[in-house]
Amino acid sequence: MMDNRTTRLDEILMAGGPAFTLRLKSSAGEIYADVPAASAPAASAYLRSAGCRHAAVFAEDRVAEDLHYYIYYVFEHPDDTRYLVLRCGVEPGQASFPSLAAEVPALNWQEREIQDWFGLEALGHPNPRRVALHDNWPDVHPLRKDFPIDTVLPPFEGEQHVYRPTLGEGVFQIPVGPVHAGIIEPGHFSFAVAGEPILYLQLRMFYVHKGIEKRFEHLPVPRAVFLAESVSGDSSFSHGTAFCQAVESIGCVEVPEPARRMRTILLELERIYNHVADIGAIVNDVGFVIANAHASRLREEILRINEELTGSRLLRGVVCPGGVRRSWDRGQAGRVLAALDPFEREFNDLTDMIQASDSTRDRLERTGTLHAEQARDLGIIGVAGRASGQDHDVRRDHPYAAYDAVEIQPPVYQEGDVLRRMQVRIDEVRRSLQFIRLAESGLSSGPHRASMPQLPAGEFAIGSVEGWRGEILYWIRTAANNRIARCKVKDPSVNNWPALVEAVQGNIVPDFPVINKSFSLSYSGTDR
Amino acid sequence: MIAQLISVIGQTALILLFSPLITGFSRTLKARLQTRRGPDLWQPYRDLHKLLRKGMVIPDTASWIFPATPYVLFATTLLAGLLIPTIAAQAPLSLFGGVLAVVYLLALGRFFLALGGLDTGSSFGGLGSSREMTISAIAEPALMLAVFTVALGAGSTNLSTVAESAVGQSWRFLAPSQMLAFAALFIVLIAETGRIPVDNPATHLELTMIHEAMILEYSGPYLALIEWSASMKQMVLMTLLVNVFFPYGLSADGSPAGMLISVLLFVFKLLILAFAVVLVETGNAKLRLFRVPELLAVAFVLSALALISTFLFGGHGG
Repeated sequence: MMDNRTTRLDEILMAGGPAFTLRLKSSAGEIYADVPAASAPAASAYLRSAGCRHAAVFAEDRVAEDLHYYIYYVFEHPDDTRYLVLRCGVEPGQASFPSLAAEVPALNWQEREIQDWFGLEALGHPNPRRVALHDNWPDVHPLRKDFPIDTVLPPFEGEQHVYRPTLGEGVFQIPVGPVHAGIIEPGHFSFAVAGEPILYLQLRMFYVHKGIEKRFEHLPVPRAVFLAESVSGDSSFSHGTAFCQAVESIGCVEVPEPARRMRTILLELERIYNHVADIGAIVNDVGFVIANAHASRLREEILRINEELTGSRLLRGVVCPGGVRRSWDRGQAGRVLAALDPFEREFNDLTDMIQASDSTRDRLERTGTLHAEQARDLGIIGVAGRASGQDHDVRRDHPYAAYDAVEIQPPVYQEGDVLRRMQVRIDEVRRSLQFIRLAESGLSSGPHRASMPQLPAGEFAIGSVEGWRGEILYWIRTAANNRIARCKVKDPSVNNWPALVEAVQGNIVPDFPVINKSFSLSYSGTDR
Repeated sequence: MIAQLISVIGQTALILLFSPLITGFSRTLKARLQTRRGPDLWQPYRDLHKLLRKGMVIPDTASWIFPATPYVLFATTLLAGLLIPTIAAQAPLSLFGGVLAVVYLLALGRFFLALGGLDTGSSFGGLGSSREMTISAIAEPALMLAVFTVALGAGSTNLSTVAESAVGQSWRFLAPSQMLAFAALFIVLIAETGRIPVDNPATHLELTMIHEAMILEYSGPYLALIEWSASMKQMVLMTLLVNVFFPYGLSADGSPAGMLISVLLFVFKLLILAFAVVLVETGNAKLRLFRVPELLAVAFVLSALALISTFLFGGHGG
């Protein structure tokens, strides 16, 4: 790890002048600064010009304690391993904050979530319609503290969402969803087409909004881990780890070395089983079924390794604050390592088979292109971002678990088509296998879990993990009695759904499923 | 008269009862090649039995076309099946029409199927119908040209005459015109039966469907008729291919022993062809929709070349 990667943000803040002087808190992972809400646009513009990226924006209701709502802007800089968080106070009587979405399209949905959940108006938002609570919801703001969690809302009778009409001769609307033919979650896609080419796609998510962020509040920390694991079922371990890292940061708990290595191994196993499944699903959607059959079989191999190591095929109930819930012995580790070699061989056979298929390549190349500029403006992260030239990887940018010991070189491509999104996954599976072997080889038989103290009330911290889709971010504030006052969950799917709208433009309708699959986003993680 | 009746009933039964088995064979084989176990050979029969007993949901927006389509499709496909020689060179209804009748009976069924897809007003049905028509606009001429090549050699468009004239010439299929025509018909077979790389019969993705998109609104007995028709159409086209180009074993005498050999050879030929189609399906990804016309254009050019080479080299080979 480079030593100078913990000073860059300080330099930027110093050079930024008096706007950033109110330093709120500083820790190994984060810097907090207080900024008046009115100067947030200027501060954001300055930080962006200094090379910072908007990672997230979210709100918190502290009216009872501090007489304010707070808006938090999370930034990161490629040369600093810490996050920079700007906090803007909003008075309840004012109930509004300046919108940055016109300058930073990446914040579009997140600002509208704040509008819906907190009733704070994003002033100047180019498209201030509802997003997280559908139009037929009554006028309630569930994340305000004065909204009791056991509220039973009357049957929804509000207006339905009005899609933007697309007019023109020979232009038709194709509505798809929210209920789909496959076993997937609900989301509505409204295509405007002229013949087969797609002119415009409108997305509607949040059909399975479960109020998870509300549910976290008042939950005791040990139980909240299980809720984090169920935010997005295919990323259970990543979400759970991000949550635990935030909690550990608040409690100033040092996770023992063996536990950090075990977390690394399990995070990479989660990445592999999802990537392999997605590679198979992508080629399946262009009708290359036999490759999918092999990919499904290989995924099963990894699930069995998961079960061997943890007792859970999908890695549920494994991570806990302070480490991991159970350890594995040398015999288990040996069997797993022995299983990885044939897996890698067969995985190489699979990728050879896919790459040797001209008809598959013809379908995937230059399909669903997301240009690098679009990806940058929309704040696209993770697999989709790396396929479009966005070099972000939490494992390298904000090292956690045992990733500081390995050199992370994320595969980055510029073309941004379906083929490259698949190639990023193929490259990452190979690297993940190396990380697992590395982490396993240095695994010593120490404690796998540090004891957690009672957490101090009112403290807050970020936990972030590079899930297989991309950056998973948790921001937690504690309450008294080891409970949680606010838990912000940001799944990478929230960032990446809007990319689909850009990527499908100009493609033909029958190519949509494979484009969608190449992003492979979580509905549940988006809707929360 | 009695013999005529027996042959009509026999062939009707053969096409009705045997065609789902080809579908089952293809699916089982495909599953095995994909390292899956897959359903057994008899699953299509169970599916038909199940669908025939089920209730139906008919959209409120449907007109008379919607319920008429399955019957028209079923009747035209079965009738086309009676015009082609299967076991004996003499097709039961060969006096009523030749290869033109086969092509147009199938076209009539497809026309109604496309109307049925449009009739309910659902966007997927319209999508499927428009795609089906795009493809058939090129597949049909390719099919016509290819069978004309064969008809030229026999001097007749009556399929029984074509088959009979071919029986005596065992190496005829090595003639360039015959091989070109066979290749063209093979491509048409894949397109017409909705197989990869043209269409994927096993997909659940509505947006990519062609044939399946047209029949999304059908259920119960209507769906059974349509599925059954699809199996029959596949058998009709495959029979056309194997019996026109490889007419070995078409029993001319009608003795019981000769009939038995004919039946076995017929089944064997069909299964070989089904195997070839499955191999193509397994080894390829589906084509991008706009590439499908290019593939069919290849079929069209092949049949045109076949026709030309008939005049250049003669249709009878060596």
